[in-house]
Amino acid sequence: MATQYRFGVEPITCHAWNKEQTQLALSPNNDEVHIYGLSGGQWVKQHTLSEHTQRVTGIDWAPKSNRIVTCGVDRNAYVWTFNGTKWEPVLVILRINRAATCVKWSPEENKFAIGSGARLISVCYYESENNWWVSKHIKKPIRSTVTCLDWHPNNYLLACGSSDFKTRVYSAYVKEIESKPSANEWGSKLPFAAMLGEYSNGGGGWVHAVCFSSSGTKLAWVGHDSSISIVDAANGFNILTAKTSYLPFTSCLWVTENSLVVGGYDNLPLLFNCSQGAINFVNKLDIPKKSGGGSMSAMKRFQQMDTRGRDSEDSKVVTLHQNAIRQLTLHSGSKSSCAKFASGGNDGQILVWDIRTLESQIAGLTIS
Amino acid sequence: MAATLKPYLEAVRKTLHASMCLENFPSQVVERHNKPEVEVMSSKELLFTPVVISRNERERVKIEGSINSIRISIAIKQADEIEKILCHKFTNFMMQRAENFFILRRKPIEGYDISFLVTNFHLEQMLKHKLVDFVIHFMEEIDKEVSNLKLAVNTRARISAAEFLQCFN
Amino acid sequence: MSVNTGAKLFRKVDVDQFDEERFVEDAGDDSSAVGPNESEVNNLLAQNRNAEALKAVLNNPPVNTKDQAIKDRCASLVLRVLSAFKVSEMEGAINGLEQPAQDVLMKYLYRGFESPKEAVQSNLLAWHEKLFAVGGYGCIVRVLTDRKTV
Repeated sequence: MATQYRFGVEPITCHAWNKEQTQLALSPNNDEVHIYGLSGGQWVKQHTLSEHTQRVTGIDWAPKSNRIVTCGVDRNAYVWTFNGTKWEPVLVILRINRAATCVKWSPEENKFAIGSGARLISVCYYESENNWWVSKHIKKPIRSTVTCLDWHPNNYLLACGSSDFKTRVYSAYVKEIESKPSANEWGSKLPFAAMLGEYSNGGGGWVHAVCFSSSGTKLAWVGHDSSISIVDAANGFNILTAKTSYLPFTSCLWVTENSLVVGGYDNLPLLFNCSQGAINFVNKLDIPKKSGGGSMSAMKRFQQMDTRGRDSEDSKVVTLHQNAIRQLTLHSGSKSSCAKFASGGNDGQILVWDIRTLESQIAGLTIS
Repeated sequence: MAATLKPYLEAVRKTLHASMCLENFPSQVVERHNKPEVEVMSSKELLFTPVVISRNERERVKIEGSINSIRISIAIKQADEIEKILCHKFTNFMMQRAENFFILRRKPIEGYDISFLVTNFHLEQMLKHKLVDFVIHFMEEIDKEVSNLKLAVNTRARISAAEFLQCFN
Repeated sequence: MSVNTGAKLFRKVDVDQFDEERFVEDAGDDSSAVGPNESEVNNLLAQNRNAEALKAVLNNPPVNTKDQAIKDRCASLVLRVLSAFKVSEMEGAINGLEQPAQDVLMKYLYRGFESPKEAVQSNLLAWHEKLFAVGGYGCIVRVLTDRKTV
């Protein structure tokens, strides 16, 4: 169903793929970033990036310019470039006094955004005369830690989710480095840090992930109240919310213009579809194999009763991920037609899910 | 009486499962710190609404949650003075050795006999359903343990009383 | 020179309350949501239309009011409706509820657990079990996360 790769037992805090999916950057829940290369179907560790002094919280790999940006609890961020033999770090002046929590390159790769526990977003760009990365802050009116970020495909708008239960869309137009943006469906006046929208589903769940659809008109977010919400800018900023019966989701990813994959504390990815003014559940993408519970021999049953003091393994993790999914990333394809996506979990595994194979394996599943 | 035990434990199990969805969350109040939010209670937006599940007035469980930790407090059934003493001794014994029990809290919160503190670090190292199983198992066993101890104390008392009174016979 | 005093009151001063970016709860003191129509619920109960009474009592819960007396009255009314059910009737009644009403019911169940009464406790536990079968973990998670209590 999915290709499983195991990277030790520590949780994988965050991971990112290079352009050709031949290399993988991940952090095993500590202050290091490991770069793996694919050779003969196996991931082999090639480099260790150790510049952070505390846990790394975010990694993003810019596909076109082949640069990596990392951020961590030590309040620092580094931009890494490959000089042919090793990765060289450049410090970013973030000017934050709490942990950095997440990082994302803009689509044009001329700037990136970092969310932090200081209740602000740093939008960072390169200043060539000083040869360093400087930042501008988006502050108002965020009232709690910024937990997640996503860029609009037009390179100017930035969505962020925060633990004050709200999702916001800002303009991140940096006049020093780019031309003035034209009006779009989210707003017409776009000075830096202008808030174009503030959305809430009415509940009290921390927002764990936000994701713009490939056209940029729809913004999805998942919250700790097990909900999925989508705001549609092309449809009068109408907010759709599905409050599901599952455990909360930590991550979401558009795989087509209308299909959304979410994953979280249920240890498996789920597929939802947004059409006709509603968010509908489509299918679980990890269907556990039926365990041979009925065919257990009497002898084995009594043995188990003897050794474990109970007659069956009633509470076993049947999903491929053995612990919560932390992050879903696009592996190959695009947000409008994803070919493969990857999920990194607290169990130290990264799973690569192939959309076409899933369609053929799960009866009645078509992802459109 | 015993009829409500199973649904009671099931309700606790489900609530524990629902509340044990924790993540690593660096403090937004103190720089470079990482504290269980349920203990420091400095940012109220990071806390859950605390819930109580009760079987009757004496037996109840309080579950307080937050973004990176949950606190489970158990009130153990104590019908009479002996059970009270036994229960106190028993929980005290365990709490003095709290570091060996990983998730045990050194002090119970007010109104309860024993408290557990589960953080995201525990959930990263241990399987979640096993942790839940442990708490449920603990709740099942502690009642049995206390009533066994009580029986033993009573038997012992009876024998010593009989021995003592023999000389006046 | 500073004088060494025994005062330690200053340690208890909560400086964070003066933080401008501190999180504040949405005020939302909305007096329009004053809870369900009591007489209607009583009528339905008297006519033994329990499932309809349940629907009516979960309608318009007093989540936005800060008045504890209103909340208490509603909670005891809900408890009365819940204890009118037999275990076999619960499932059908729950299936007849919309998802938001299920969430509200779960909130009332936890509210009921808080102040245990021997007679209704097993009934509440049975409700919890049946409601979980329909609403799943999400239903419980929303009780935990929602700031609006009943």
